[in-house]
Amino acid sequence: MNKKILIAFLLVTLPSFAGADGQWILQESTLTYHVSHPLHQSEGVSHAAKGKGVCHAGQCEFLIAVPVKSFDSGDSNRDLHMLQVTRGAEFPIVTVRTRLPESAAASATINTDLEVQFAGQTAQYKQVPFKLETRGGETHLTGTIPATLADFKIDPPSLLTMPVKNEIPVRVDMTWRPQ
Amino acid sequence: MLRKIFRRRHSGVAGLVLLVCLSVTFAPFLMGQTAGIGTLTGRVIDASGNAVANAIVTATSVDNGQTRSATTATDGAYKFDGLPPGNYRLKFEASGFKTLEIPSVTVSGTETAVLDEKLDAPEPTTKPTPAQQDNLPNAPSSSTTAPSLSDLGLSPEQTQGNPQEQALLDKRTHMLKIHQRMGLITTIPLIATVVTSLNAGGKNTSTTSRDLHTALGGLTGDLYFITAYYAIRAPRVPGTETRGPIRFHKVMAWIHGPGMIATPILGIMAFDQKNKGERVHGIAQAHGPVAIVTAGAFGAALLSVSVKF
Repeated sequence: MNKKILIAFLLVTLPSFAGADGQWILQESTLTYHVSHPLHQSEGVSHAAKGKGVCHAGQCEFLIAVPVKSFDSGDSNRDLHMLQVTRGAEFPIVTVRTRLPESAAASATINTDLEVQFAGQTAQYKQVPFKLETRGGETHLTGTIPATLADFKIDPPSLLTMPVKNEIPVRVDMTWRPQ
Repeated sequence: MLRKIFRRRHSGVAGLVLLVCLSVTFAPFLMGQTAGIGTLTGRVIDASGNAVANAIVTATSVDNGQTRSATTATDGAYKFDGLPPGNYRLKFEASGFKTLEIPSVTVSGTETAVLDEKLDAPEPTTKPTPAQQDNLPNAPSSSTTAPSLSDLGLSPEQTQGNPQEQALLDKRTHMLKIHQRMGLITTIPLIATVVTSLNAGGKNTSTTSRDLHTALGGLTGDLYFITAYYAIRAPRVPGTETRGPIRFHKVMAWIHGPGMIATPILGIMAFDQKNKGERVHGIAQAHGPVAIVTAGAFGAALLSVSVKF
């Protein structure tokens, strides 16, 4: 009888010890790319990012994924053109990976290295600054990834034969919740 | 004598109009025609000689940049049918293999080009080693604790690429690029036609001005219908809702499209009446107003995609 109680106790308690490292879940997000064209500026916004952070031994591994199709610039023609030049049908997901110490959540600013996979290419961005604000158990993170089209070997899309600028900074606004 | 000259001029104009109509009707078909249709096929294997399935083979035309993609079958075979003859740059991509690029493969319209390729294992990664990564405290790692796409609830269907859809998008962009360029080119004779209309109508009796106006109008119509062809024939992407300035652009097409058909018809009638020494009368009087509305709608369509409202 005691043996059965001990096994039941272990079955109940062990998973909670195993999960003691903790996880972070992306609660909500707004990712905005900015494109400059000689005739006008445009932005594409996505709220469809999914993200997770898994912490172990004081380090958290984060993965954020967003469908290329989910970016909306308010112009279906432009979105389809962006989808084509970024090879979004062949490589439908943009992923961002980073690693942060668990203690980073308590900081007001962090500089982190990002590995971005997009359009079938991988680009590394070193020491990208982000602002952090923790409120009500949730951590709000804002910053800008200094992406360029050349980083992902994307030919600049053009309108009326004029190509857009190489720089496509991506503004990041995310809310993370510990689990 | 005067009647003879008019008749001769009239037949010249009729010939020009016929030429314009013929070229408008047949230009798109002539453009789509090729000297022959080629086929490119082959097999993709790994270093051990085993077939590589699901490799993406992309053929890009060196001549016009047009791209086609194919995925290898379980036996590693791929095939491109209906390729216009020319030189193609080929790219072979497969998960777990080094991407291979072949700078130029010639496809003829008479023989099937065969290109078998072997994919090598990837080179040692340039990513930092775990020891190096400790020096970069927040560099992404590939440890087993790192979350995966499936951890985020993304299914393989959502994460897998669709080469067919990409090929459709490539074709669409290619055709719309030509549409844009032709639209810009069309603007030049369109403006010139509007400018020469000032001397072609009214009390002016000069046949030279009218002939110039007619010739420019014919050229505008010719270029316009080639422009329209590339927009109409550009493939639609299923499930896409038209939003933004492109809606206005399309609405304008419903005005300048019929206008570009009506304007030359009314113009021929007006031209005929003027050549007979008559005042332009009846429905032919609408030539000017219809032309102005048509040119205005064309300009608005162009501006709608150029300037952000």
